[in-house]
Parts: sequence; C-alpha cells; structure tokens
Amino acid sequence: MRWLRLQALAAGDALRRLGSQPVASVLSILVLGLAIALPVVAAVILKSVAATTAGLDTEPHVNVYLALDAGPDDAKRVERALRAEPAVSGVRFIPRAEALAQLQASTHLAELLASLERNPLPDAFSVRLRTADAARVAGMKAAWGRLPKVDQVVADLEWSERLARWARFGQRIVVGIGVLLGGGVAFIVAHLIRLQVVTRREEIEVSQLVGATAADVRRPFLYHGLLEGLLAGAAALGLAAGFAAWASHELSALTPSYAMEMKVVFLGPTERAALVLGAAALGLAGAWAAVGRELRRFAAAARDR
Amino acid sequence: MIRFSAVAKRYPGGLEALRGVSLAVEGGEMVAVTGHSGAGKSTLLKLAAGIERASAGSVVVQGQNLGALGEGALAVLRRRIGFVFQDHKLLFDRNAFENVALPLRIAGLGRQEAARRVRAALDKVGLLARDKAMPVALSGGEQQRLCIARAIVNRPMMLIADEPTGNLDADYARAIVDLFASFHQVGVTVLLSTHDEASVERLGCRRVALAAGRVAGAEDS
Repeated sequence: MRWLRLQALAAGDALRRLGSQPVASVLSILVLGLAIALPVVAAVILKSVAATTAGLDTEPHVNVYLALDAGPDDAKRVERALRAEPAVSGVRFIPRAEALAQLQASTHLAELLASLERNPLPDAFSVRLRTADAARVAGMKAAWGRLPKVDQVVADLEWSERLARWARFGQRIVVGIGVLLGGGVAFIVAHLIRLQVVTRREEIEVSQLVGATAADVRRPFLYHGLLEGLLAGAAALGLAAGFAAWASHELSALTPSYAMEMKVVFLGPTERAALVLGAAALGLAGAWAAVGRELRRFAAAARDR
Repeated sequence: MIRFSAVAKRYPGGLEALRGVSLAVEGGEMVAVTGHSGAGKSTLLKLAAGIERASAGSVVVQGQNLGALGEGALAVLRRRIGFVFQDHKLLFDRNAFENVALPLRIAGLGRQEAARRVRAALDKVGLLARDKAMPVALSGGEQQRLCIARAIVNRPMMLIADEPTGNLDADYARAIVDLFASFHQVGVTVLLSTHDEASVERLGCRRVALAAGRVAGAEDS
C-alpha cells in the first residue's frame, strides 16, 4: 500500500512538472519524437521495399539440366545425389513436358515451338541453396556437372545476391541510425532531467535531511524520464504513421503505370508497442543516469562543506 | 537513546569539530548542549541525527550504531528523529502546509491522514491559521515554529534542535523554550543546543557544556 502510494505520488509529481511548463514540455517531446521517428521511417521504407521485392525470387538457386536421353531412373539417381548435399534446401523436378508448356505459356514463341517435331528441352532440376558462398556453389556446380547424364549446371546467383546484399546494407543503416538516435534520445532526456535536478537541489537536500532515501529522491525524476520517453515514442509513432499515410497516397498515384505492385507497409502492433516501450525505456535510462550523477555530485559537495 | 563513545569529527580541510566526546542521553530525557559558537554543538547534533558521520568513535542512537548503517538505513532513521535546523531549511516555493507535509510525503502517508497530522502539528506551534502562507511571508519566529512543526509531524520519539532560540527576542525565545518543555513532558527525548543562558535556566534540564570540541563540564541545574 505504502509502496503503491509512493509510486502514485512520484508519478503525480512528474505529471505536474510536465504540465507546469506545457510549451517547453511539448517542444522537448516533439524533438525527441522526431529523433525517434527518423529511424522508424527508414525502417518503414525498408519494410515496404522488402514487401515489394518479396514476390521476386531472391534465394540463390541452381538449375541442373539433364541430357536429352536421360530416363526416369537417371533422374531419380541425380535427384538423390542433389538431395545428399547439405547446402541444398529444396529440389524441384521440372519434367521436360512441363518446361515446354511453361515456355509456350509465358513467351510469344508458341507458334514456333508448336512447329517443332519434338520437345527440344531436357528434364531439369531447380535446386534451392542455403548458401550464396561463391566457392561452395562453384564446388557443387563442378561435382554435379560430373554426374552421369547431367548435361549442364547453371547457377543464377549474381542478381539475387546483389539484392540480398543491398537489403542487408539497408538493414544495417537502419540499425545504425536507430542506435545513434536512440543514444541521442537518452542523452537529451538525461540533460532535461539534469536541469530539473539542479533546479530542485534545495528540495532534494531538505528531503534527504528529513529522511528521504536515494530511491525516494530518484523516483519522481525516473517517472519524469519514463513519461517523457513514453510520450516521445507515441509522438514518433504518430509522425511515422503520418509519413506512411502520405507516402501511401503518393504511391497509389504512381502504381497503375507499373506492373509491380508497390505499397507502404507500416509497423505491426507488436512493433508499435515495442517502439513506444523502447522509447520509454530510453527515457528511464537517461533519467537514471542523470539523477545518479547529480546525486553523487551533491553528496560530494556536502562532504566538502 | 543516544550514546557517544570517544567521538571525533574532522572536516575536510582539517577542522576538528569534536575530539573524544563521550555522552549519553537517556530516553525521555531533555539535555541542553551549551558553548560558544564553534564549540562543536551543531556537529554533535548532526551526528546524533545521522545527518553526518563520525570520523572516529561510535554513535549509537535508538540501539543502532550509526557508523554501521548504510545511507538508506540512515535516511530511514532520520524519519524517526525530528530535527529543527538553525537555518530552518524551509522550502520557499511552497506554503506552510506543504512544508510541514514534506516528511509525511516521503514516508508515503495517505493524503487524509497526512493532512490531519499536518494540521495538528501546525496547531501545536500556533500556525494553523497561517497554513496557506508562503515562508517569505512569515516572521523569523514563525519560520522557526514552522520548522518545529515539520520536525514533530512524524511524531518522533526524539527531537533535536540546533539553536532554536537563536536570533529571537526574549519573548519569542521563552515561547519556543516552553514548546520544547511541553514535548519533553509527554515523553519525547529532547536534545537542543543553545548559547542563551536564560533559555537553559528556564528549561531546567541537564546541560552539557562544549568547549573547543570537548565536553567541558556536565551538570544538572
């Protein structure tokens, strides 16, 4: 009961402090919100790009073409050899008839193909790999090329690898910006709380004289930092959502002229909650560091008196 | 209640405020510490209240050796001791009521119970009618009484007052002295410092004289 009351008192105190200077509070929360919104917007862009390219096959894969005279038994033997390789995540057999049908359906060569006496395409395997490591893929290519009744092994790695690399790069940039600006948020909160602590130094000292522990002194400031972080997180969410809505509107005007469907993917509910809670945690951490530092300074000054 | 054994206090810079002070104050007793300014009176009181720590020797208060207590435990002990500061230590950004309520807020007391106790404390020192007044609007004597109200609001078993009659005219000083005598009558242990002979005479309690950081003489008047 006492504990709850102490928390309520501290939270009330922090709210009153925020409310007593509404303009300054709103401005600082907005600044914090902008700092948090920046990496969030970058993440939304990345997510949207990822969603757009998800339809494209970016996993490395290798096509293994059999000789034209290979029979079903040969195909089975080759398939077993392919599946035995640990780096292989999936093997799909494409019978020559299916390959021809696909070619006829997807190109304008239907007439030409129909005029052919026999199917010029071989049976083939589409092999998905878990690795894009050039040396390993080259090793597999060479090994599979030596299998009996295998005519050709074609690796299609380059563009998918490049796309994956760009995606990884983008993620790292987002994480980097996030870490930098997250640190910035903690520092700004620490600075704001430090000012509060310094202006309330007398109150803190008198409180300690009449029985306040370090925890008692710290509590309202921690709530202050927590609240500032929480509100900044909410502001960032609002700003990012506003950006997403605007971008979505702009994109919808562009999309019809392209075949590729582009849309803005915003944060999911878990991510939104994590964003706000993470911002609150940053505020709390900043406040904790600032109050601890100032209290140690006060104590040192008191000892020297 | 309070037991000093060979206590010394040295401040950074080399000032020796107390040297080898041994002293006992029993529960329910009232003791006046006298001496010139600089004799170590304030230091003695601050050590007894756990506001400062001894450099040597032991200070035992309410059965607890203060030297062995951590900062948190020391703070909690201070809640059970009412301290009247020489310079009052009032907060000028809040009114009389809120100043007195500060220790109760720290203790986490419920709002209604706290308000009841604050009013009782203000009533005891004769400031109930001025509960909304800001400290700057109070006279020196009123500020002193406000500080006393804050010291007693937690209903401590022990009251320590540093020069409570300093800078007050004779009438005011007598009223303050009588106030402390009334706390003593209801069983509160009172330890106060003064350089005012008239106050000690009026209190009629044991006195401990300090000179240059040592106990010069102890006598019952």
